[in-house]
Amino acid sequence: MNTRNKILALLLALAMALALAACGGGGDTAAGGDSGSTGGSDTSETGGSTGGSSGDQLEVWIWDNDQLAGLQEIADLWTEQSGVPVKINVVTWDNYWTLLEAGASGGEMADVFWMHVNEAQKYMENGILLDLTPYIEASDSVDLANYYPDAVSLYSYDGKNYGIPKDHDVNVILYNKAVFDQYGFDYPDETWTWETYYEVASGITAASGGSVYGAAMNTTNDQDGWWNIVYAYGGSIISEDKTTSGLDSAETKEAMEFVARLIDDAFAPQALVSENGTGGLFTNGLAAMITQGNYTIRNYTTYDNASDFGVAVMPYHDANGNGQCDDGERVTVYNSLSWSAAANSEHPDEAYSLIEWFTSEEMQIKQAELGVTLAGYIGADDAYAQTISDAGIDASAVQVMNDTATLVSYPFSKYTTNWQNNIRETLVAAWLDTSVMSDKLDEAAAYMNDILATES
Amino acid sequence: MSRAQGLSRKMSKAQKNEAIWGLAFVMPTMIGLIVLNFYPIFYTIYQSFCRTGDFGRGNVFIGLTNYVNVLTGGEFWGSLLNTVKYAIIEVPFSLVLALLLAVFLNRKIAFRGGYRTIFFLPMVCAPAAVAMVWKFLYNQNFGLLNNLFGTDIAWISDPNVAWISIGIIGVWSIVGYNMILFLSGLQEIPHDYYEAADIDGATGIRQFFYITVPLLSPTTFFILQTRIIGALQIFDLVYMVMDETNQALSSVQSVVYLFYKYAFTNGDRGYGAAIVVSMLVIIMIITFVLQKSEKKWVFYN
Repeated sequence: MNTRNKILALLLALAMALALAACGGGGDTAAGGDSGSTGGSDTSETGGSTGGSSGDQLEVWIWDNDQLAGLQEIADLWTEQSGVPVKINVVTWDNYWTLLEAGASGGEMADVFWMHVNEAQKYMENGILLDLTPYIEASDSVDLANYYPDAVSLYSYDGKNYGIPKDHDVNVILYNKAVFDQYGFDYPDETWTWETYYEVASGITAASGGSVYGAAMNTTNDQDGWWNIVYAYGGSIISEDKTTSGLDSAETKEAMEFVARLIDDAFAPQALVSENGTGGLFTNGLAAMITQGNYTIRNYTTYDNASDFGVAVMPYHDANGNGQCDDGERVTVYNSLSWSAAANSEHPDEAYSLIEWFTSEEMQIKQAELGVTLAGYIGADDAYAQTISDAGIDASAVQVMNDTATLVSYPFSKYTTNWQNNIRETLVAAWLDTSVMSDKLDEAAAYMNDILATES
Repeated sequence: MSRAQGLSRKMSKAQKNEAIWGLAFVMPTMIGLIVLNFYPIFYTIYQSFCRTGDFGRGNVFIGLTNYVNVLTGGEFWGSLLNTVKYAIIEVPFSLVLALLLAVFLNRKIAFRGGYRTIFFLPMVCAPAAVAMVWKFLYNQNFGLLNNLFGTDIAWISDPNVAWISIGIIGVWSIVGYNMILFLSGLQEIPHDYYEAADIDGATGIRQFFYITVPLLSPTTFFILQTRIIGALQIFDLVYMVMDETNQALSSVQSVVYLFYKYAFTNGDRGYGAAIVVSMLVIIMIITFVLQKSEKKWVFYN
């Protein structure tokens, strides 16, 4: 009897220990979400010692749910050839970097994932990303010259490539035709300068008596908003050599004084914007115009009043005053995400193979046809604007931007996220009271310079 | 050394057995505590003395620099003040409301179970979901509150109001949990006391203050202590309700929010660690003072 009790007790203790171990193990992969769509072949090879990765699956992380369906379709085509299932998980932007960094520190990461310029430098310097250079050299189909040069350089460090561009973006104006009609203003078009934008936006705000606003732009609308104005006016966010902030330069301040006029006379007030978001104000007809990256347009096609929405090119700044848009006057600050892989992936060959597939000319064209995004491969996205237009919002302006606008590469350094967040928070005060704009730019520039000083 | 040997020699075989089995049984919990609690705590303390590298690599020991920066910068003290302001709303109001509710719901009234469930429900909801719903209610232009009362209050965007609004959510979320604790405390008070008081002609209010309140003091003390600690660690409500561009953020952000911002968003683990360790010390001091005060006003039968 006594021994039986002992054995029972031992078993119980073991079970508890196991349960604890299982909890720990579960924690590591919890971000992976449910075992879902791509079938259960991953359970067939629990041993794993027999090699032959064909039974394993690749785990892929992205942050944009709107792109999931299209990318999964492309990944499934790769699975047909390679026999390796691909499970794409969407981790929202707010959690993505926390979880990816936790994975990178703890040693367990997704095999293939999106990389963003804000964070790439840090990941490359610390050897977290798989060096793709030998694979690219060995491949007969990949030539990095076919991709946007800025985009390639964002994901290379010390002469090595750690990512292949999956897309690029352009900024556009989204406008609500119903609001324009109600207050009798002409829709935005290619003749608009930023001054025209100011006149119309402030005109709508004045005409409505403050119930509807001509435009809305938060401090967080940087790449898709005020940064474009800064660069159009000849200013900058960071110096070429990434050692000093450009926020306190005379050109940047001149541009931001223009933004201050918009804030005073045209933009929706800051409290309204921060509580409802620019998108919420726009879709409800309370803001006539917002600036957006092209990748969000598709989401706007799902609204009931999508037929009211129009897409226009970003205005230009007539720097030479000749009354027409010359080269370099219509600016869009563009970014490009890359497909990257984990250096410690158990399946580096398969991971690279999938990356090559995603970024091949054929699949880049397919990605545009499916309306996922513009391409990272130059000239592979002519179908994109048409697909979005077919979904309900005429997006031909995206194509015009893509063909004619000056693409300015996204300003970045090693700790972009840190100074970018600080700029966004610091400028809130200037959005509330434009008289402190210049002071706040100096303040943000000082913070940014401190960060940049720690990087080198 | 020799004493330990002496002890083990004195143990009989049965005692030894018992000790081993006892250890075997607490081992899973011990391992869990060590891996999930103790190790992180000590690692955090270690990190607070370092300029931390990316991905937990290349930590450089820099002594008290992080603490000097934390304690001399205004941000920590500002957010500590915000946190205390939050606690001043949450703790007393949730305590008093919960006590009143518990007293009423301890009587035999219709749908008693239903009421108890309703008040406890917020505790079962995910804090993030609770925060989102309140965020909608508080919306200045389209929220239910302003529509209902015909007001135009910037509940979460006015720096003078936002901290109260967050406090109200906190009270609402926790009042049911406190109520359940009070209910269990109430049911331990012998009924005889009330009968005796009735015979002596004491009114309900006098009974409440002279029987219920003193005899509930162990429960009250427990709730007070756990809620003060809980309130000082407030994070999720602030994080969910306040947008990063909200003009009232700096007058609402709590200490843990500040920690999250530095440690996770900005990637400065060492500075973040110094923030939470400073907070830990403050909480320990408060707990110590509370424990000392216990003898003065808590009655155990």
